[in-house]
Amino acid sequence: MFVIVNGQPCPFPEPMTLAALLVLLSPPAPFAVAHNEEFVPRGTYEMCCISTGDRIDIVHPTAGG
Amino acid sequence: MEDQLVLYGRTFTTRLLLGTARYESPRQLTDAISAADPALVTVSLRRQLSSSKDSGQSFWNLVREARRTILPNTAGCLSAREAVKTACMARELFQTNLIKLEVIGDEVNLQPDPFGLVEAANELVKLGFQVLPYCTEDWVLCRRLMDAGCEVLMPWAAPIGTGQGPRNARALRELRQRAPQIPLIIDAGIGLPSHACQVMEWGFDGVLLNTAVSRATHPVRMARAFANAVRAGRSAFLAGPMIVQQAATPSTPEIGRPFASDSSRLGIKSVPPTISTSSTGGGISNEEIRNEPTEPN
Repeated sequence: MFVIVNGQPCPFPEPMTLAALLVLLSPPAPFAVAHNEEFVPRGTYEMCCISTGDRIDIVHPTAGG
Repeated sequence: MEDQLVLYGRTFTTRLLLGTARYESPRQLTDAISAADPALVTVSLRRQLSSSKDSGQSFWNLVREARRTILPNTAGCLSAREAVKTACMARELFQTNLIKLEVIGDEVNLQPDPFGLVEAANELVKLGFQVLPYCTEDWVLCRRLMDAGCEVLMPWAAPIGTGQGPRNARALRELRQRAPQIPLIIDAGIGLPSHACQVMEWGFDGVLLNTAVSRATHPVRMARAFANAVRAGRSAFLAGPMIVQQAATPSTPEIGRPFASDSSRLGIKSVPPTISTSSTGGGISNEEIRNEPTEPN
């Protein structure tokens, strides 16, 4: 299946949880995640099932005013 | 007793809030933070660019090492829903309930969306956030935000990044008068230390800056200038400025002026001496003479 990660389509095996997907992506900490534009609290990654076409956004600290 | 800024029960000894964006280098940002000595520094969150190898770690380490209170923002959000989601991500990322709430209603002047702000503030307060909304000086909007549970308001001086200084001085001062208890921090549009000093003299509780420092020719020097200006403005406010008068008043005592008779030729009338109502003789006491202003012109 393909999942849109930060706007880019990426291939992943099925089935997939967000926790497993993040293990594969291994984004550097700290980060926070949204699944289909909904925030996913860190403690619920295992329960979040990913389907083809889903959108994952991973955000990091950046400068801001 | 030390003059402290209190925001949601947190006390700060300085009244400047500094943004972390648009500096030429991490070193320049670090030095600007040191020079400005801000109570809080603002940060944001973004997706990692595919070309970036850093993912914000070096920035985050730099900010943490500055040992300042972190104020994440919801910059760029165009709806209440977007702002609430962004705030939730910021809370997990930065481990704080503080949030600078931005809901932008116009992409040209980056004016806050008053309707979206109130909607988002209501939701965020219910979720346990401590909301600092970037708003306009509109009194009804500010009242609605306070009703929503905002304990701090951050009205703009002018559109973000313009450096124009306070565009609507009368409304800002009226807001200060109407809301004397709530901390009011001027956010956005400040360009010069004199702007910051001015709003502090009006009784605002703090100033949030970014571009005015980071886009200065010498940002670190400007950061220091702003820190001094904010302190000066606050001191002036606490000192109680004199009341503006319509007519000139000599500051040097009139009593004892030599050549006093010459004044008639210049059309100057001598200021009559103050007559003491407590004096039985109707004369002028030495005490009253001493109480005349004697500051040099």
